[in-house]
Amino acid sequence: MVKQRLIEVSGSQKLAGDNKMGEVFFKRFTFNQLVQHWIMIGSFMLLVVTGMPVKFPDAWWSPVIIGLVGGFEMRTTLHHAAGIGMVILGIYHVTFHLFVDKESLLERKIMPTLTDAKDFWQTIMFYLGKAEQPKYGRYSWKEKFDYWGAFWGMVMMCVTGLVLMFPFIAMNFIPFAYVHLATIIHTDEALLATLFIFIVHWWNVHYSPEVFPMSKAWLTGNLSEEQMKHEHPLEYEEAMRQMQENTANSS
Amino acid sequence: MAFISRSLYSSLKKKYALIVITAIFLLIPAASAQQDVSCYHCHTPVVTEFRNNVHYKIGFTCADCHGGSIETNASVISYNVMSGNFIGRPTRLNVTMVCEKCHIEETKNYKQSIHWEQIEKGHLEAATCTDCHGIHEIRAIKDPKSPSNHQNSPATCAKCHSNTELMSAWYYGIKTDRFDTYKESFHWKALRNGYNVVATCADCHENHLTKAHTDPASSTYPANLPMTCGQTDCHPGVKFDAKIAAGLVHDKESLHSGDLLFNKTGMNPQIAAYYLGPFDLAYWIAIFFKILTTSVIGIFAGMVILDFVSRFKMQKRW
Repeated sequence: MVKQRLIEVSGSQKLAGDNKMGEVFFKRFTFNQLVQHWIMIGSFMLLVVTGMPVKFPDAWWSPVIIGLVGGFEMRTTLHHAAGIGMVILGIYHVTFHLFVDKESLLERKIMPTLTDAKDFWQTIMFYLGKAEQPKYGRYSWKEKFDYWGAFWGMVMMCVTGLVLMFPFIAMNFIPFAYVHLATIIHTDEALLATLFIFIVHWWNVHYSPEVFPMSKAWLTGNLSEEQMKHEHPLEYEEAMRQMQENTANSS
Repeated sequence: MAFISRSLYSSLKKKYALIVITAIFLLIPAASAQQDVSCYHCHTPVVTEFRNNVHYKIGFTCADCHGGSIETNASVISYNVMSGNFIGRPTRLNVTMVCEKCHIEETKNYKQSIHWEQIEKGHLEAATCTDCHGIHEIRAIKDPKSPSNHQNSPATCAKCHSNTELMSAWYYGIKTDRFDTYKESFHWKALRNGYNVVATCADCHENHLTKAHTDPASSTYPANLPMTCGQTDCHPGVKFDAKIAAGLVHDKESLHSGDLLFNKTGMNPQIAAYYLGPFDLAYWIAIFFKILTTSVIGIFAGMVILDFVSRFKMQKRW
């Protein structure tokens, strides 16, 4: 038997007076995870702004942006600084979740399963009005795709980015041809990530009428009961079951 | 009737005033031209251009290049000006003689270049002084409007080197994609955005001493490339081994532009073997990302649209 980790639930009466009796919050992200996400947002935005003018040097907006960030040299400095920040973030994330947070790797709920493929299909059918909305557990297939997409992207961007940052050092270890390959991978992957974040991720967490203007989980780390029931019904049921068990045990 | 005639009368008066004023204004440039170089009378556009010339600003006159007299007496222009050593319009073959009078070092270098070699062989369309520096509107190199300015140098070379018709005049054909392939390099991307320290054409190929890359004395001859790339102002202290430096920058960079990349059959097999990497990796990686980006963004953007549209059918989702 796998020991289920408790799902954290906090009542608002503990936090701010008693006027909201009965409203409960569900812990979605720890403070550690929130800070990681904030650093990710900051470095990602800076990298996109300072990187895209070099991917599209002939676009009219390219010199405009370079002018706004303070010249080409400043652009390079900013891009390198933000890039190093992202590399450190990536290393921290992997280290933390491998060695500090000792949950078994295979039992993590972020691992993709067959259900996700079914849910993917069911979602399309749902949009077409031919099925019910799939019931998600802790992470929906969209969130899993977001996470692993970002994970794969981070690996690609950090490795090729370091090669591009020190091309002449890299040439001592790898053939010149690979330095060139790094350019292709770095810029193409960057474009993919940018498009994905701005179109898909922002739709899911900002623009979608369900959460508009935004899902506040990225600031507070909490989900409301209503949101929880709607977006993660399976996890909600699990949390309720655990709460009942706890109260039964303690009494 | 009285009303009409009065308005006609007054408008006529204004018209005369207008004509007089216009005539005065027209006379001003004509009168002032009398004091200037006499050539202005007939060669107005040329002399106007010349006034932007850096030589004009330090006191040169038409005669300094074209010969003849610098007399400005309008009544005897044709007799005076075109006398003596007047050479008229220099030909492409002898324009160097004019510049050589002062720019000895530059001309000496230019005369060792492939451009001069071709002119001597009878290819008069090969570049000479005026093609890069301008004819009458020669500006200082530091002037941003100068075609020889660091920023403008790629466009200036491309004037001829991207011209398919012109380049096909050589039986072996000169590649016309050089500017396009240069555009793929980081050098151009930085230059385009106002970063002036990066290399443009002349930094690698030399400005006056331009030679074919097959010439052992050329700065772009494979064996000389480590020195060229490792110039003090560029990548000093970097160890380019011969294999790296032998890379033809243009051909390497052009892998990323769709045409060559997706048409690897047209590539020189040697270049392809080295620069596509093992198993033509560059080619496959580019294709991989093309497919990946299109499918991921396509599928997910499609989902977003479906999601959006479905909300019109279901007023309230939850």
